[in-house]
Amino acid sequence: MEPLAPTQEEFTLDTAAELAAGESGSKIEGKSPWVLAGRRLRRNYAALGFLGVFLLVMLLCFVFAPIYSSHVSHIGPNDGNPSGFVHEHGQKIPILSQGGSTFLKNGTVVVTQGGVPIGPQWGASGGEYFFGADPIGRDVGTRLLYGGRNTLTIGLVSAVIATALSILLALIAAYFGGGADWIISRAFDLIWAFPVLLLGIALGTALNINGFHHTIIPSFWIFPGWTINIPAGSLWIPIAVIAFVFIPYIGRPLRGQVLALRNREFVEASTAQGAGSLRIMFTELLPNIASSVLVLFTLIVANAILTEVGLSFLGAGVQPPSASWGTMIADGQDVLASDPWLSLLPGIMITITVISLNIFGDGLRDALDPRAKVRLEH
Amino acid sequence: MRSVAVAAVVAAGLALVVSACGGGGGGGGTTAATTSAQGQTFSNLKVVWGTTDYMDPGLSYRLESWQLFQDVYLGLVVKRYGTCGVGLGCTKIIPGVATSLPKSNSDGTDLTFTLRKGLKYSNGEPVKASDFPSSIIRDFKMNSPGIGFFSNIVGSEACEANPTKCKSISGIITNDQAGTVEIKLIKPQSDFLYILTTFFAALVPSSTPQKDTENPPPAADGPYYISSYKPSRSFVALRNKYWKPIPGIPNGNPDKIVALMTNDLAQSAQYITSGQYNYDENTLPTDRLKQLQSKYGDQIKLWATPSTYYFAMNERTPPFNNIKAREAVNYAINRQTLVNLRGGLGVPTENFLPPSYPQYKKITPPAYPYSLSKAKQLVQESGTKGMTVGVYTISDDVIDKNQGEYLGNQLNKIGWHAVMHELAGANYFVVVGNQSTKAQIGFTDWFEDYPYPTDWFQVLEYGPVIKAQHNNNNSNVNFSSTNAEIKRLAELAPSKAFSSSTTNDWAALDKSLMVKYVSEAPFLNGVLTSFFSANMDPNCDVFDDWFDDVAEMCMK
Repeated sequence: MEPLAPTQEEFTLDTAAELAAGESGSKIEGKSPWVLAGRRLRRNYAALGFLGVFLLVMLLCFVFAPIYSSHVSHIGPNDGNPSGFVHEHGQKIPILSQGGSTFLKNGTVVVTQGGVPIGPQWGASGGEYFFGADPIGRDVGTRLLYGGRNTLTIGLVSAVIATALSILLALIAAYFGGGADWIISRAFDLIWAFPVLLLGIALGTALNINGFHHTIIPSFWIFPGWTINIPAGSLWIPIAVIAFVFIPYIGRPLRGQVLALRNREFVEASTAQGAGSLRIMFTELLPNIASSVLVLFTLIVANAILTEVGLSFLGAGVQPPSASWGTMIADGQDVLASDPWLSLLPGIMITITVISLNIFGDGLRDALDPRAKVRLEH
Repeated sequence: MRSVAVAAVVAAGLALVVSACGGGGGGGGTTAATTSAQGQTFSNLKVVWGTTDYMDPGLSYRLESWQLFQDVYLGLVVKRYGTCGVGLGCTKIIPGVATSLPKSNSDGTDLTFTLRKGLKYSNGEPVKASDFPSSIIRDFKMNSPGIGFFSNIVGSEACEANPTKCKSISGIITNDQAGTVEIKLIKPQSDFLYILTTFFAALVPSSTPQKDTENPPPAADGPYYISSYKPSRSFVALRNKYWKPIPGIPNGNPDKIVALMTNDLAQSAQYITSGQYNYDENTLPTDRLKQLQSKYGDQIKLWATPSTYYFAMNERTPPFNNIKAREAVNYAINRQTLVNLRGGLGVPTENFLPPSYPQYKKITPPAYPYSLSKAKQLVQESGTKGMTVGVYTISDDVIDKNQGEYLGNQLNKIGWHAVMHELAGANYFVVVGNQSTKAQIGFTDWFEDYPYPTDWFQVLEYGPVIKAQHNNNNSNVNFSSTNAEIKRLAELAPSKAFSSSTTNDWAALDKSLMVKYVSEAPFLNGVLTSFFSANMDPNCDVFDDWFDDVAEMCMK
């Protein structure tokens, strides 16, 4: 996956007058750019439709998952029942087929294959194993929903953290310039120099061994100090890793935009009125890059989801027994020939989610900046 | 060496030991299998192979390497080449680079070997008597997982204490001109000849660097040498052009063995069904076992192995320093389910010794019938309920992974909080064998190095062999009474090694460790598969103890 690489000139702060030509006769007088963007977005049915699909996926994973687990499948996402049975039309069917070997005295062996998980029941067993079982007897449907919850949580939270930190760093670097800019820009360069997935694997693998336990601020006097303790296997590890690796991909274009804005008249006017640095950064500059932030955020979410899937697939993201769509694909790949649905279902969910986010992101960009000539590259 | 007369008596005793071990009903038929394919040479054997830890005989402790090493690295003595499985009894020892089994004194503490003349390594260097001690010293310098095997050699303690300064071992006396190697032991040791058959005791040239040497691996004294090795990707083995035939050791049929290394079981099987490769060293994908058996039944062989799969519980750290916690694990695992997770390729067990051993006596009635309620009660009684338990398993072997995750799931059910640590197979045992990892519980399997119970109890269940790194006693089993019994049995003179009382004592020890001390949670004895392409003749397959001999494979 190649992260998006926007450039600083692709987003512009359009005034209502500048946009008049593109509004095909609609009245724009007195309308703020945000209202105009909202109007354009409402007209983009494809973007709205896919936003709806994304929200539906969110709803399924965050709201419906516990209901499904407790009222339909009657099993938790990490609870395997490989010794159990389901009842279907009065028949008792083992969740994993029973097998075994017999050692004969002449040294030969008779083997009966076992361990093949039950396939999709499509409701025949009263909701249990609707989408079948995985190789250790866990309910695929339940794990699909809870796995989606983990994948989406990591994607969204890491994108929020990456975006927040990027905004802060971009504002500091571009507004103050000099040494601060040099340090932050080199840090961006350093992270950028590593391929996203490679850096993610390195950090994720290292942190998942023993977790992250470090004192950030030592205790002094009555201050108890501040220690970060993230245990191995915590979702915060992939969240932190993905947020970290994506910072320069948002930070660099935002820094470029802030650099272009900091010498504009409205900033000078604010300075002349005696506004402090913080006020200028957060009340003058930040609102003017908000449209870029919004667009970048939607695209970073999609990329973060894909990165999470990749890391979890490779064992450096969500740790077992917790599910994510990535770990589910990995669990299914070894039985792809006999139980293809184990990998196909999470694959389909990932595709739907990422396509939804990307199409909505494109629509949002078109709404916020209809004259953008440069498209984001994925 | 004291006297030839005494030595001859003891040599006869040792011969009795090894023939007793190799006895049973397997002799005739298996010998025929050994020699059936001799001379059917062909140019190229393409194999699919599992990944391994090292490709250096001083360091590797994995089946995948040892399977290849049997045709590459020879010791003074070697295990007899020939099919042997559970029920057949294994394995005789035959001379390797030595001309015969050793001459020895009465209690077997002074062994003298004479090397065959004119042997050369694959790099052209002559095989010298002094290569044996240099190979053992190399093991010490590399902190080999095999150095514990040599602790009974006089003078080895200095090397163990200070490997970097180890230049010689006083208990190994060699004469390159006469070609003799004399080994002096501190005390009698019933299994020492078997230890010399392990690849840690295989000879490599004295000029071999005293560090992990893999590209290419050390020069070989066997019929093949490994010309190239790319970790986790491939290796190539070629005929050793300096090889001089040794009776009982196959010269080999393929001129070249080319291996693609992967742990993807489905992909491995696919390579064979498509005819791209000739032999699959990996186990068949368990989800396709039935399908493959019905379609390619003639090309598949199934072998019982002298192996035990078990969960090691670290008795130095909570909760498993509490016997009730260890009992809880044994009650919480459904052994039949674990067999199912292995696709049916196994037999449930509560014993530590596999059934192939004459010392095996099945624990009856079952000590740990599956009972989650009993397990929960024991966790409660142990006072460890709610504790976080790190569960270790191998990530890139789907079966091992599933079995580890099953264990984690069961631990959660009985009141602990399991945190999974899934590690790549290539370094799994290095990591869990390091005390600083403090692995609490994890998947482990053990395939015999040699067919005597010391390989199980002295290597895996004996307190004095616990090490800071490369520790094979993953559970840190260290009970004074069982330590004393293991020591007593291990120090018997070779002539008493297979007496009925000794056999019963080993069986009693097995039961004592598994039931009274609950040192491990054994769950199955494994079955391995051999899968050949349509152009190969599976009847040539020789399953040496627990792996196919690639050198003896033949085409139709």
